[in-house]
Amino acid sequence: MKLRRIARFHGLKRPRVRQTWNKYNLYNLARMRVPFLNNKTFFQQKWWAKAITRGYHGEHIKERKWERMFSRRLISAVDMDPAYLAKHDGSELASGRGSGATTAPKAERKGRGEKKAVAAITPYMQMIYAPMERRLDQAVFRALFASSARQARQFCVHGAVKVNGVKMKYPGYLLNPGDLFQVDIEKVMYATGMKKEHITEAPVEEAEEAASEPAAPKEIDAAADEAAKHNETAKHHDKMKSLKQLRKQAENALKAASSDLSAKRKIALRAMMKDVKTTWAKVAGPGSNPQGPEQIAEQLTKLLSELDITPAADKYKDAPKEEQPAEMGTKEAVEIEQGGGLQTKQERAILKRLIQEELENPHDPSKPYATPWQPRPYMSAFAFIPRYLEVNQNICAAVYLRHPVARQGLAEVPTPFPSGINQLAFNWYLRRG
Amino acid sequence: MPPRIPTSSASSSQALLLNQFSELVISPRLSASSSHHNGLITATANSTFQTHNNSQRQRSSLSKRQFSTTPPRQRLTRQRKQFWQWLETSGAVMRDATQPMNYVKAVGARDTSEDSRDMPFPLNPEFRSQSVLSDEAREIIWKSVVEEGQPIKVVSARYSVDMRRVAAVLRMKAIEKRWKAEGKPLAIPYAKAVQKMLPITQLGQVPHEPINDVHVHSYTMQQVFYPTSESREFTRGDAAKAFGKHIMPVDHKIRIPELINLEKQLAAGVDRNVAEEDFTKAALESEQKLKEREANRVRELEEAKTKVDTGRFEFRIENVNVEELVGRDGRSRKAVGWRYGVPFNDRKKGMVKIPTKVE
Repeated sequence: MKLRRIARFHGLKRPRVRQTWNKYNLYNLARMRVPFLNNKTFFQQKWWAKAITRGYHGEHIKERKWERMFSRRLISAVDMDPAYLAKHDGSELASGRGSGATTAPKAERKGRGEKKAVAAITPYMQMIYAPMERRLDQAVFRALFASSARQARQFCVHGAVKVNGVKMKYPGYLLNPGDLFQVDIEKVMYATGMKKEHITEAPVEEAEEAASEPAAPKEIDAAADEAAKHNETAKHHDKMKSLKQLRKQAENALKAASSDLSAKRKIALRAMMKDVKTTWAKVAGPGSNPQGPEQIAEQLTKLLSELDITPAADKYKDAPKEEQPAEMGTKEAVEIEQGGGLQTKQERAILKRLIQEELENPHDPSKPYATPWQPRPYMSAFAFIPRYLEVNQNICAAVYLRHPVARQGLAEVPTPFPSGINQLAFNWYLRRG
Repeated sequence: MPPRIPTSSASSSQALLLNQFSELVISPRLSASSSHHNGLITATANSTFQTHNNSQRQRSSLSKRQFSTTPPRQRLTRQRKQFWQWLETSGAVMRDATQPMNYVKAVGARDTSEDSRDMPFPLNPEFRSQSVLSDEAREIIWKSVVEEGQPIKVVSARYSVDMRRVAAVLRMKAIEKRWKAEGKPLAIPYAKAVQKMLPITQLGQVPHEPINDVHVHSYTMQQVFYPTSESREFTRGDAAKAFGKHIMPVDHKIRIPELINLEKQLAAGVDRNVAEEDFTKAALESEQKLKEREANRVRELEEAKTKVDTGRFEFRIENVNVEELVGRDGRSRKAVGWRYGVPFNDRKKGMVKIPTKVE
């Protein structure tokens, strides 16, 4: 199926809320209002409601296809409290009706697990697009494995999605309750991670910072090497080359060990530390993991014990460790090693944690996303997982537990529109349903 | 918008112009930093004058977009300006996940109450971002079922997690453990980031979700006029019969009916430990029964086949009723092969061939 191209997908002039994590979309969502519709005919109201809701719910799916999926039977569920069922057999609702009682006894039940009910009604009208949520591409998007519904569709088409262990290339596959779907981890990391170009600038700034001061030529080299390294792909430099580079940098650091620990020196050391980690991360690559963090810590200790730089080492020693951000942590570890050489248990623990973090989330220029991996901006504003899915993010898999249902005060279909608009849209489809 | 590259005749003069008046170029974006501004200009210089001093180093650090020789638009539309303004003021907190449920508020909304905190969509109060199980919670569930051998019903009731969810957690945990053992990479940074963004249930302290959901059958949504005597005790079972012959009373439809007995015992004053022991026993029994039923089904299917072992092959012969297999119109999806008089539509245009289930 050829996808429809839309000229202004995230336009600001005629805004439509879309199924994406785009920042323009976020703005459109924030300023969405229900217009005054009373001066429109009923047909016009329905048309508008249909148009705006379809702009969000599977806009890449053809209208004819959706019309065939549409069902006027909206499903709901009621939570039954076993304590109530144990206490009553149901006859109490009718007891005394013939002898003058006019109202049913007040039910003494509380919702189990539910925080609150917004209204006493069951919002059936929010459930129109429930059949759409059954589609594989929609479920992949809802499980936070793709940054837009169209991207989720592409993942299916490109063969990155498996259903119950079998590759499923049809984004229109309707999930059955109990189906387990998996998305290729690399694809998920790419879709949800920060773009690459955001981070490549950082080391260059460092390099320029160092270059602006003419005093230390060797540091410039080291920093420039580092910057160049960031931009290369991992394929181009093998293990040996990076190890050589590492040794050179270590020598540089050792030569200047007698002088004061200036800001520039710190930069160079930090870059070296990063490199050490990268190298070991590569050696202990994700496929084969011959070295645990303990061994690496030992090796690092051995290497860094050669560094004997005393000043400015005590500065971070007493500071609480958790409060330091990750980058500061690296520096801190370097400096602690310089001072005491990883004598105490606590210091070793810090280094172990840092290496563990590095192993989990390594710097790897060969990846199509920025490394170390970070979530893309504005992801958190769109991050929710509806209850009909159970997601395991570690393996990028999810189970479609059941069809979405409406409960008292809650509807499980994620829709940005209020009940009134969805009701109008429902009426539109009833006409042709 | 992709970077636009002008025609060759125009490019050099345009680039020259841009280079000459580089100080005058004003970035239209409110957020554009000075580094971006510089980057644009140096990139232009690099692309045209390759002999520039330190072009190599700077070039490597620039993205493709910055090579565009098209000057940026000088004027923002009002809407675009408002967008950037919003993005830098109220939209700024949306950029990174500083807290769980970092959801957008409607523009100009005064309502910052706790009630609207879990609303990802400002206009739809009927959709809430509901809490998810944490990684630790999944581990607890795995331990209690797989290592301690507790029945799923008991675990579900104790933590108030739906039975289907418990089963799903176990399925995926098994895969995760296998991957770990195989040394396959996991998406750990992604998982950590997502868990930071979502509301998390404290397992065992608060109920996670309703566990005894009953699907509202469409037969039960109608009003039925059913005359009965005043003196009669009209129970749920009678009501179910009145709605339809096949409608079951709620007591049987809930997912863990053993809980009703537990509650009855508690109401009768039985010691809690004793009652819970009984419940565990009943849950274990029902699980055994289910297993037996499944095993029987598989066995019966196997027994229905006639097996002929020739030493090299084992032929398995099944009795098949063709009419049942091909359906009333002879076009059932289950049917195999070509049938006389029935067009073979497999390759016909417009025929939907998406599988309906994967096993």
